Amino acid sequence: MEKALIAFAAALAVGLSAIATAWAQSRIGAAGAGTLAEKPELAATIIILVAIPETMVILGFVVAAMILFGV
Amino acid sequence: MIVRMSKVEIAGPRGLLEKVISLLQEMGMLQIEPSTIGFIEKKDEAYIDSFLPDKETLSERLFLEDLKAKLEELFLYLPDIPVRNSYIEPMVIIDTIKENLQRHLLTCREISHKKEGLQKELDELSRYSFFLDAIEPLLKSIKQIPDFDFIGLTLRDSEAIDTLRKVLMRHTEGKFELLTSIASDGTTVGLIAIKKEMSERIKKALSDKDIPELKFPSSFGNLAFVEKMTFLRKRISEISAEIEEINMRLESFSVKWGAIYRRVKEWINERLSVLKATASAFETGMCFFIYGWMASEDVDRLRIRLNQDFEGKVVLEEMEIREQDLDRIPVVLKNLTYFKPFELLTRILPLPRYTSYDPTLFIGIFFPLFFGMILGDAGYGLILLIISLVMIAYCRTKRDIQDGAKILSVGAMYSIFFGILYGEFFGELGYMLFGLEPIFLERRTAVIPMLYFALTVGVVHLGIGSLLGFIIALKKKTKKAILSKFFQILFMLSILSLVGSLFGLFPMLLTKPIILAILFLTPFLLFTGGLLAPLELIKSIGNIISYARIMAIGLTSVLLAFVANNLAGKTGDIVIGVVVAGLLHLLNIIIGVFSPAIHSLRLHYVEFFSKFIEPGGRKFEPLKKEGKV
Repeated sequence: MEKALIAFAAALAVGLSAIATAWAQSRIGAAGAGTLAEKPELAATIIILVAIPETMVILGFVVAAMILFGV
Repeated sequence: MIVRMSKVEIAGPRGLLEKVISLLQEMGMLQIEPSTIGFIEKKDEAYIDSFLPDKETLSERLFLEDLKAKLEELFLYLPDIPVRNSYIEPMVIIDTIKENLQRHLLTCREISHKKEGLQKELDELSRYSFFLDAIEPLLKSIKQIPDFDFIGLTLRDSEAIDTLRKVLMRHTEGKFELLTSIASDGTTVGLIAIKKEMSERIKKALSDKDIPELKFPSSFGNLAFVEKMTFLRKRISEISAEIEEINMRLESFSVKWGAIYRRVKEWINERLSVLKATASAFETGMCFFIYGWMASEDVDRLRIRLNQDFEGKVVLEEMEIREQDLDRIPVVLKNLTYFKPFELLTRILPLPRYTSYDPTLFIGIFFPLFFGMILGDAGYGLILLIISLVMIAYCRTKRDIQDGAKILSVGAMYSIFFGILYGEFFGELGYMLFGLEPIFLERRTAVIPMLYFALTVGVVHLGIGSLLGFIIALKKKTKKAILSKFFQILFMLSILSLVGSLFGLFPMLLTKPIILAILFLTPFLLFTGGLLAPLELIKSIGNIISYARIMAIGLTSVLLAFVANNLAGKTGDIVIGVVVAGLLHLLNIIIGVFSPAIHSLRLHYVEFFSKFIEPGGRKFEPLKKEGKV
């Protein structure tokens, strides 16, 4: 039972943060695509903006790893 | 690397100004500064004026501007086809060129306007062609009876067909024929055949029911429906032929005159840029002065050339660069052969300031390193190396593809190196085939050690970034920024030591002194960095954790390779197994090119560069001839 709870907690940590990242990236990506159509020179800024929320899922992954491996 | 720049002043007799500017344009080394700010002392400003061109120069400029406008208009009408190079000297025949240009412009303008009108008509008629294509087969299926009329319509949906049928039934007592078809653009089109005397009544009824009848252009006059169709087809083919003929005329004109006019335009632009540059010069009663910026390495070369061409009458002086000039110094990036391809990745970033660093150098060092750390498979690396070498060999003319391939080849080499360290060759295939053992870590099982490794890489990378930020602050001699950067580094080191001691990396005894040190440093941090300083620190911690992606993305790659090999083994058939494993490894390689590249770039753009790169540099734009690099 404890093992299942640990696995569930890890899944929640990575799953919820993945959903959050996906949601944020979808919004930024759509706006970024619109911006790029008008100002292609902003490509670097858009890449950075799209990449920023990725940290959330990486944090979630680290937390999940810590839960699973008992760090 | 950001090229070292010099602030220069060129002075000489007023009469030589134009010749000096022509020489500067030919050399293409100097960016002329149109303002005296930072070049002339306040007390001397009263003795120096902006250079005023004489009447002759002004009229030449107006003449050339007019010619340039006409040439630009002419090129708007001409097709963009490759033409030969012309080597005529436009200055000698400028009057003949002016006369011919006027005549040619009128002719080209006239035929282009005619073409425009025809194109417009063709576009308008083409709107009917979808209807025409759909309706023609229906017309053939209906018997051509003299006292019958046809009405063409477009219908919204199948409900509209039912409504139409009811309307027709009511008004014609069933004496009609309705045929429908779907046009190429998906619209439902209909054709009604009725007796001529009922035609007007039906058209009115359709209009009342909001069923749009197909209206032809007024130029079609009172032709019958079938005749309109024939006329439409005929007119479309006539217009297409006329447009084709005009295009051929313009093309042959372009072949005959394009090269000459292109050369004239180039010469006019060069001449105008010299004349415009004279407006950025300054004068006293006898002398002219030009102020500007140039690469320090070119100063001697320009000085020697000025001495040779003007027999010592024109002098070049290097001026002292002051602190207030730093924001105005234009920036040129120049890199060694190894780093040159990496400019592809820094070109999309804004130009750094003169006091900052060229990001190319850091991308060149760390990007392939991170790429290799993430992909970390000798087999994948080998395949990517072969692909990149083939691309380098076959795409010699396409510079961006060449650069991309060169970056990939370096990344692939790092990938082979880390693949050997991790003991990976197409996953664990290397171990199965020739007993390749991990030297450093086995990524698939050593998740936590790999996480620590990735975070350590992050700490070192960001440490370098923070140190470079501190050096920039030192160079700028801004006390507050120096102290702020210094305390930020100290604070980060303290927090990392605290985490280390809590996780058992340092003795637990150190925990209390470190907490005390953090408490001691906090007021200094707030005092030097302001209220946003703690936020900056939280961001820095987030930045370090972001390096965990090196492990996370790498883990997905190694697990996919593991799945590929195991799935192949489970098929029980050598051919199917090889196909399954091959496909999955191929997928992994494709992902393995994009994912590590994007994430390595992100670590640079978002995490690393935010520590020290100062964007907002001014681009170096020297006075030079058109097309000269």
